[in-house]
Amino acid sequence: MVNLTIDNRQVTAPKTATIYEAAEMNGIKIPILCHDKKLKPFGACRMCLVEVEQMKGRQIPACTTPVTEGMIIHTATPDIIKARKMVLELLLLNHPIDCPVCDKGGDCDLQNLTYDYQVNGNRFTDEKFHHQIDYNNPLIERDMNRCILCGKCARICDEIVSFGALTFIDRGIETKIGCEFDGALNCEFCGSCVSVCPVGSLLARPFKFKARFWSLTKQKTVCGYCGTGCNLTLGVKDNKVLTTIYDQEQGFHKGQLCVRGRFGYQFINSEKRLTKPMLRKNGTLVAVGWDEALDFVVGKLKGGNVAALSTARLTNEEFVLFKKVMELSGSKDFDHSAGYAHSALTEGFARSFGTTASPATIPDIQKSNFLLVIKSDAYETHPVAGFEINMAVKNKGVVLNILSDKHGKLGKLPGAKTLLHVPGSEIALVNALSKVILDGKKAAGIASSVVGYSQLEQSLSDCSVEAVAATCGVSVNDIIELANDYSAAEKALIVFPVGLAYPGHNAELASAIANLAILAGKIGSEGSGVLCMSEKNNSQGAVDMGFYPSQDGKNAQQILDGCASGTVKTLFIAGENPVVSYPDRTKTAAALDKVDCLIVSELFLSETAAMADVVLPACSFAEKEGTFTAADRRVQHIKPAIRKIGLSRSDFEIFGVLISRLGGEVPVSSATVFSEIASNTSGYAGMSYAALGESGAFAPVDIKPAFVDVKAPGQTRQAGKLALLTGSSLYHCGTMSQYGEGPMHVCPEGYLEISRKDAANNKISENDLLTVTSASGSVQLKARITPRMSEGVVFTPYHFSSASVNQAWNGTEVTWVTLNK
Amino acid sequence: MNPITPIINGLKITLSHLFKKPVTLQYPDERPNVAQRYRGLHALNVSHNKAKCVACYLCPTVCPAKCITVEAGEDANHDKYAEKYEIDMLRCIFCGYCVEACPVDAIRMTGQFELANFSREDFVFTKERLLEKK
Ligand code: SF4
Ligand code: SF4
Ligand code: SF4
Ligand code: SF4
Ligand code: SF4
Repeated sequence: MVNLTIDNRQVTAPKTATIYEAAEMNGIKIPILCHDKKLKPFGACRMCLVEVEQMKGRQIPACTTPVTEGMIIHTATPDIIKARKMVLELLLLNHPIDCPVCDKGGDCDLQNLTYDYQVNGNRFTDEKFHHQIDYNNPLIERDMNRCILCGKCARICDEIVSFGALTFIDRGIETKIGCEFDGALNCEFCGSCVSVCPVGSLLARPFKFKARFWSLTKQKTVCGYCGTGCNLTLGVKDNKVLTTIYDQEQGFHKGQLCVRGRFGYQFINSEKRLTKPMLRKNGTLVAVGWDEALDFVVGKLKGGNVAALSTARLTNEEFVLFKKVMELSGSKDFDHSAGYAHSALTEGFARSFGTTASPATIPDIQKSNFLLVIKSDAYETHPVAGFEINMAVKNKGVVLNILSDKHGKLGKLPGAKTLLHVPGSEIALVNALSKVILDGKKAAGIASSVVGYSQLEQSLSDCSVEAVAATCGVSVNDIIELANDYSAAEKALIVFPVGLAYPGHNAELASAIANLAILAGKIGSEGSGVLCMSEKNNSQGAVDMGFYPSQDGKNAQQILDGCASGTVKTLFIAGENPVVSYPDRTKTAAALDKVDCLIVSELFLSETAAMADVVLPACSFAEKEGTFTAADRRVQHIKPAIRKIGLSRSDFEIFGVLISRLGGEVPVSSATVFSEIASNTSGYAGMSYAALGESGAFAPVDIKPAFVDVKAPGQTRQAGKLALLTGSSLYHCGTMSQYGEGPMHVCPEGYLEISRKDAANNKISENDLLTVTSASGSVQLKARITPRMSEGVVFTPYHFSSASVNQAWNGTEVTWVTLNK
Repeated sequence: MNPITPIINGLKITLSHLFKKPVTLQYPDERPNVAQRYRGLHALNVSHNKAKCVACYLCPTVCPAKCITVEAGEDANHDKYAEKYEIDMLRCIFCGYCVEACPVDAIRMTGQFELANFSREDFVFTKERLLEKK
């Protein structure tokens, strides 16, 4: 800490702080245009000029000057104010000053400073800029006439997003921000640049002219898409969510969002939302009142042989109530996420760590020295967690290794090393890593005292690294090097995403990974551990609330089998769309067709809802109160931003009525249900809505490590066929993002990624419509030729109803397919 | 003072008025002379054959009666214009703040004061009705 004097106040600041940061920490405001907390100092705008007595009263930029002991700083002398006024005059010289039609008005740093410093005229005269405005992009409008060249957009896109779409182009007075060769913007559309732009040069096009900043009600909430659990602020007017608002103080990610969170909010007020309950009469769904619909549902629930499937997007409170509904209906058969998407936690971690949660958190990423990302690219599945990885690697020099069956964005980071393996061989590879550690006597001291150590030793004794290397397509040296680097790192973290369509991210892989981490002793301390990132915003919550079958209950696949065979008479599906997202569409649809009564509560008339006997219109996350638990067990409180759409009711209310009709105890409010959760869920003790506040709280994870013997599955390779991998696209999450305009602008339909070599061999060119045929069926997808796939491997995202991949994909780790034009 | 004096004084004033020009008008036969700065019904100024209003939302923001509804739209040149501009005259208090707030001189107040009507809907002046009549 150093001591210094700012504006006659004695203050202290850390040695690494700049004058600007020191002032900010002590509540002294220095005006600035080119600064953002997350970015490195740049010194472009010249607004933050201050005087330092030791520097003979020269005016120096506060944002790039580090503090030194005994500095005496003045931030607002008449000279400085004069200088700042001139800076503003110069900025406004070529600026269009079209505030009345500029969407930034009211939230514009330049406008605010001009007002604060009372710059009413301009001593200088010059022509205004005449840069062409980019109106064509569906998500980001670029008007470089308003740009003040602060460089924030280019810096955030490079430093945090690591895409590098924007940069300064041209020189001198002609300098502007643009894309390569001044072309169109074709990037990830995370909107980070829009969020940091201090003026109206970069604007969110979906929000264009919709409302003024000051007329929006700002409601803080949590993103309803993926398990990263980003905090976001919704801008609401007239009961409509019109935009998302940037708040650089929000969450661990300091307001950063991905394209789904920032531009995918339109599903909330979508025209397609269901507004009335519907009951099937004479073969068609007709609108009915809630009483009639619920009478019907209660009748069916009382009839017995009930089972339930749920989405992982309900709140924790709703999961508790849903379980109660099932209990009162006398059923133990309930599950979510097809039954296997959570098995890494509920089976894998349960036996390896004695708990169903990850012994690491997202903030650990930046505190680690060594990251190992396994299988799916964590950036594509959880983009904002991906930003953390970017920053860890680029700013902190964290070593990044990736073990995957395809290249991903993370592999492009400086120094990142990707070990590409044959699809389906990841468990063998992870076991080989453990084997190298064992053989090299690099195992942590405590490992030998962990339960199951000798069994592991024994089971790995017949594992030959050479043999694994040969079948996995990875060199022996690479395996040995990775294992040695991992065990030698002081702090090492394994990141591994799981989800509905990421087959192979299962309990076996989870246990193999856990073995590796326990063996190397990389667990239980800050910056080390295993982070299993579950897919949806409340996947971890669904697991924590126990919304999966106990020993004597049926899991999702058994429930569907039961529907097909007639043992399940009534199936209650809340928010899930199995027809599109569960493996094997034909089988799933046949089962749903067969079941006597299908009850669906949904936001939209999804493919599944369209088959239902009764459809209950439910509420989105923006209309309800409750808690979500993020992938790293951050429990966060959400509050309604808008009133309920139409006659829709939250699942909380629906389950509440059902509980009372079934003779149970009616829940008073979600707060009381949460206090019940706090009293009986491990890790949630002491939590309450008030205690969670805006930032939420981590539910601590207690681990009891144990080694579990995991056998690698045999190779299933089929000659002459390609390995089909499924997973998440960067722009989508689950099937809900189909109703978000932003994601659909960027990525409107399914596609098949294929290597150049395979494309050439099969004479396939870009955008050719391919028929992908597997043993279980076929689907038509457009070809996308990319360098990221290796020969013999193709990839497709699973989100789209229009070309639902589960027609060909049946849930096995690797689906072997043939391609036809 | 003599109690009769004030009464006499009062009657004198009354009497003097009998010989002055009356203040009242025989409305509607006689029309008042409306002052230039009178704040009557609003008009939207027109220039280049379209309303000058750029839908900046400053008038609905400043309006103390919250009776102005503006909805912005994007025209073919990607410019902002008022797709909807409505004033609910039943709520307007004729304060003139809207005129003062407008940065582009798009709205003014006319001398028209006869705003009586038969139904509530008729008091909502749409953009069409507000556009200045040439
Ligand atoms: S960027 Fe700011 S100052 Fe410039 S026109 Fe827009 S609101 Fe006005
Ligand atoms: S939207 Fe994201 S990826 Fe695209 S230019 Fe902006 S910061 Fe870069
Ligand atoms: S576009 Fe915005 S963020 Fe980028 S340099 Fe210009 S003013 Fe700064
Ligand atoms: S989708 Fe995930 S990463 Fe993106 S903003 Fe939402 S929670 Fe964050
Ligand atoms: S005159 Fe006053 S009350 Fe009437 S519309 Fe204008 S601002 Fe509103």
